[in-house]
Amino acid sequence: MYDFIKDPSLYNLVRGPLVWIAFIVFIGGTIYQLRTMILLAKKEKVVYPYMDLKLSLRSLLHWVIPFNSVNWRKRPVVTTVTFLFHIGLVFTPILLLSHNILWRESWGITWWTLPEGIADIMTLIVIICCGFFFLRRILAPEVRFVTFDSDYLILFIAFAPFITGFLAYHQMLLPHKTMVILHIIFGEIMLAAIPFTRLGHMFYFFLTRAFMGSDQGYRYSQDW
Amino acid sequence: MAEVSAKENVKKKDWVELKRKPVKDPGFDETVKTLTPEKIEKVVNAVLNAGKNSGRFIAPLETCIHCALCSEACHWYLSHDKDPTYAPVAKVKMTLWELIKRKGKVSPEFMKQVARIVFCECNLCRRCSMYCPFGLDVAYQIGMVRRMCFLLGLVPQNILDQTNSLSATLTQLWITQADWIDSIQWQEEEVRADIKNARIPIGKEGAEVMWCPLGTEPKVAAYHIARMAKIMNVAGIDWTVPAEDGWDSANMGMFIRDMETMQRVVRGIFDNAARLRVKRIVLTE
Repeated sequence: MYDFIKDPSLYNLVRGPLVWIAFIVFIGGTIYQLRTMILLAKKEKVVYPYMDLKLSLRSLLHWVIPFNSVNWRKRPVVTTVTFLFHIGLVFTPILLLSHNILWRESWGITWWTLPEGIADIMTLIVIICCGFFFLRRILAPEVRFVTFDSDYLILFIAFAPFITGFLAYHQMLLPHKTMVILHIIFGEIMLAAIPFTRLGHMFYFFLTRAFMGSDQGYRYSQDW
Repeated sequence: MAEVSAKENVKKKDWVELKRKPVKDPGFDETVKTLTPEKIEKVVNAVLNAGKNSGRFIAPLETCIHCALCSEACHWYLSHDKDPTYAPVAKVKMTLWELIKRKGKVSPEFMKQVARIVFCECNLCRRCSMYCPFGLDVAYQIGMVRRMCFLLGLVPQNILDQTNSLSATLTQLWITQADWIDSIQWQEEEVRADIKNARIPIGKEGAEVMWCPLGTEPKVAAYHIARMAKIMNVAGIDWTVPAEDGWDSANMGMFIRDMETMQRVVRGIFDNAARLRVKRIVLTE
């Protein structure tokens, strides 16, 4: 923040105030959306009475472990790509060395980091997986039929920070500083977009899964 | 005939053209003539606005990532050579999402196609929910569209007739109380040919089990009653059938999302159970 007041350059803008805005929107929006959904579910007569912690966790566990549900086993390629993509998408930004240094510079906190080589490979995997999802949207008839423009948009929102981050790290295509600024902007867009787009499946996943797991488990049926 | 099918195949010019065999049903073909775009808009928006207060309705809309992983769950999809228009998510797209996008401003012909999709191409079996990585309740969404169609009267004729019968008589097939008791006594005699002094107790208070058949049993398959009576008698169960209305467990209102009739059918059965102070309700099927 102070850097931006002293020297209002574009870099200091995206590094200072916009980060704050992005995180506030992300965290505040997530809490708001989750709260709304939970209150809406409370109004329903048939959601809360069926909810069961054991059945919910049972269903969640079966779906967050690869190849542990019928549909994951039926589509091995999609399953592999999906899991690699999501692991990379969630853990690379959190455990990246450069991001950790930024946290340390700002607030003096650090945590574990991934070796740079591994982080680089994970980023590359995310980029390739994005390509796979893009091609699947175009080539698989059942997916193409239900693809909207917004699907390409949210895929791009997830893709952009990784490709710019990758190019910035290898100092390719654009000057390093320009690429870093682009990378930060795309990252902030993604953070802010999560609660208000269908990227929100990041947290709705746990709610819908818990409901379906309880609902089916209540009838002695399995939903995996 | 050829003319009709050519017309039927081009259902909506400004929208996905579905290649389907025509479904001839007075419930669709006659009702659609009475609809106006204003009426449709009013009904669709009424259901959508009610849905805004429903977490079960909103959550799938905001979560579905359009991955089409649900398609392999659907027997319609699999039995039509993986035609993408039969995938569960595709059915939601062609009905609910389209209605939301257009805010209910659609033509009667469009609504007829929607009714055809939700009634004739989906059984609400919920298998897609078991295949969805998020466990989204697809059948509930289709059910909401069925509700819109029901409120417009766009329902297959025979289901609509049976629901009307339920709302008027609490039986599926216009069976009067006299007919019901008569069928039971007739079948009691039939059972006695095999089991001496067998009984089908009608309205016995304090019995352990109350059996509620479907309306089709006294109407067209009365021997089912005799079979159930044989089982109960041989097993030595203290059982009864209700004497008053509210014995029919065929809840057609549930299928077309006629919630009002649906509630009355269930309530009728539970009222009978409470009146007879039975411990268990046994339903056919």
